[in-house]
Amino acid sequence: MNLADRQSRLVMCRRLFAVLLSLSLCGAVSAAKVELDPSNWGHPEGEACVSCHDKASPGLAQQWHDSAHKTAGVNCMDCHQADSAEPDAIEHEGQVIATIVSPKDCGRCHETEYSEQAGSVHAEAYAIIADRVPALAHNMTGAAMQASGCDQCHGSLVKVRGDGTLDPATWPNSGIGRINPDGSKGSCSSCHGRHEFSKAQAREPEACVRCHSGPDSPDKEIFEASKHGMIYAAQRDKMNLDSDTWIAGQDYTAAPTCVTCHMGAAGKIPSTHDVGMRNAWNLNTPVSERQYLVVLEDGSKLELPASAPVPKRGSEITKADGSIGKVKVVAAPDRRRQIMSMVCLECHSKSFTEGFMTQFDNVVELFNVKFGEPASAIMQSLYEEGLLTPLPFDEPIEFTYWELWHDEGARARHGASMASPNHAWWEGMYLVGRNFYARFLPEARAVAGERAAQLVDARIGDSEHHAWLSRPAEHNPILGYVPPPEPGPPAVPEAAPAQSPPAEAETLEPAVEPAPKSASVPGAEAGVGSDVGSGGVPREPALASGERAQ
Amino acid sequence: MMKFFEPLFITRHVLFALVAGGIGGIIFMFFLIEFDESTSANEFCTTCHSMTYAQDVYQQSAHYNSASGVRASCGDCHVSEGIIMATYDHAIGTKDLIKQLFGPDYDDPVVNLLHLPEAAFASREWFRKRDSATCKRCHEIDAIQGTRANTAAIHQEETEGKTCIDCHYNLVHRKVPDEQTFKREAWNAMVEQEFGLPPGTAERILAGEPPPAAQPTAAN
Repeated sequence: MNLADRQSRLVMCRRLFAVLLSLSLCGAVSAAKVELDPSNWGHPEGEACVSCHDKASPGLAQQWHDSAHKTAGVNCMDCHQADSAEPDAIEHEGQVIATIVSPKDCGRCHETEYSEQAGSVHAEAYAIIADRVPALAHNMTGAAMQASGCDQCHGSLVKVRGDGTLDPATWPNSGIGRINPDGSKGSCSSCHGRHEFSKAQAREPEACVRCHSGPDSPDKEIFEASKHGMIYAAQRDKMNLDSDTWIAGQDYTAAPTCVTCHMGAAGKIPSTHDVGMRNAWNLNTPVSERQYLVVLEDGSKLELPASAPVPKRGSEITKADGSIGKVKVVAAPDRRRQIMSMVCLECHSKSFTEGFMTQFDNVVELFNVKFGEPASAIMQSLYEEGLLTPLPFDEPIEFTYWELWHDEGARARHGASMASPNHAWWEGMYLVGRNFYARFLPEARAVAGERAAQLVDARIGDSEHHAWLSRPAEHNPILGYVPPPEPGPPAVPEAAPAQSPPAEAETLEPAVEPAPKSASVPGAEAGVGSDVGSGGVPREPALASGERAQ
Repeated sequence: MMKFFEPLFITRHVLFALVAGGIGGIIFMFFLIEFDESTSANEFCTTCHSMTYAQDVYQQSAHYNSASGVRASCGDCHVSEGIIMATYDHAIGTKDLIKQLFGPDYDDPVVNLLHLPEAAFASREWFRKRDSATCKRCHEIDAIQGTRANTAAIHQEETEGKTCIDCHYNLVHRKVPDEQTFKREAWNAMVEQEFGLPPGTAERILAGEPPPAAQPTAAN
């Protein structure tokens, strides 16, 4: 078993290197060097920009003065110059420029980074959710929230108005999946603060915090609460953040940051600006799936769930935007995992790494099987049976379900992926469980009414994950109640206590009470889930029946 | 010696003509001054309905509403100083009157807005040719302090070879891009969207074809 394992791993490793080579065309271990001939840098008009902006916006100008761009002789015009035919070109002090410097513009010099980020989950962050945004941002709140909320992280579809101005509903914006007027996707300044573009700044975990924080993706909080974050905070001065190359294990060993694992060079692993490339799972879906990374001939990329058929090299595939692309390389989920794991190996042993990944995978699979899959199946059937309207968020259970996977479930999975016990458990799976048993199931039963047994309880009835609910008499001191030992010595400890305590346990009653009542709750015939569900029932039916009356 | 002969030509008629002509000339000068003045006033300019669209935006601007109470009229900016140049500007300006009478229906807000960019480009060129002379009636570059730290320094040090209008356009009237980056299709689309017109209407209006759908909406 071990031998076979090791052999297959060897084979995988070899394949992995092949993939790595093809994925990273640069082949360089360090960050890619700028390809454009430096003789093109230093636009003659740039000096005038600086002279005036030193006075007009000294903060902005100073950032540039402190930048590597200035040292290399790259000035304002080198990045901001535009062709007058470009949609967002404007005349400014005699020059034709564009306010927005798109990834395509940065790609005039940073070709490798541009091609890597194109098609990444970052670059597609707006496109992926564009059709979903109105359900929450527009319906529940108002369109104003898209500009200030969603789009600030996901990016906006930048609109240039007929008078040449940028529509304030879409700009300013430095969201990472911004659709730029030149058609390119993304925003380099999302992570690389203008106008200094400091390497050190982008390597800090804070580069990611603006979006990767908060209830649905608390990656900042997770990192800080992890051992990685703990050591980083203590050893920050040993991180060598200003180094030209920044290879984990070579240029620094103190601690990893977000960049280290998701993008950074480590050992023989080259750096990449495709930040999702090393992610084997999608952790932000109702049910997580392992995913293929499909690289197309035109450089664009596509994520495919592992349940979908594996596309063959050279075959044609429909892209997210409906166009057809030719498959160039396919990276299977386990290869993506191996790339990530090879970063770990710079500091951890192989068995440690594998053990950690197993713990992580187990959490994801647990979430899927125990909560994600049944919850999504229950919601699906409530929609199909017409018990819920197709309109999202007009019924309370839709919020319950949304938070179950989008917030609490994502927190649990992210917490496990980056080793924050608090987020994996208290902020994560504990809340998932509480939500599932005390809110979601009772609400679903109320919505299903008489058909609760068929539409709700049947989805969890067979699963051993929920079998604990069928053992109401099984006691535990966690809530402070332990049934007194039976007076008669031959008593069976399991069965008897359930009946005897009430007289002595008055104060604990609310916590213990539900069990005996469960028999009257709809869905009790399914035998599972009903007793915990009853805890929420007295509160929920009013809500549920109210909403059904509509 | 010659002087003795000259009076011989000044007959009574000639003298009369000179006096009458002189007085007439002076009256004409006064007339021109009054004419230039009254035709530079906001009230005169907006007697044409088409000019009220320009007025609406102008009345939102700092050139109309200033804390100090200084208010620039149409003529303050758009008519040169001095009787000769003012009269010349008015004479040239009659082409606008001719266009108003015989050209497209500028009173229609859609037609007006579609033609606005060309008017803006022409006006900017007018300012540029005169080295922004009418701006300088009120604004003295050495006296510009601004409300921000370096406004004075910028005007002292960064303005060589530049005239006011080079930087300060889209100041009073509706925003129009610079001619170099102006995109007619985008402008037309904006007008169509603003007035709820079907795509392509703007192009037809500009071509002089009567657009069936445009009239009722435009009347709003």
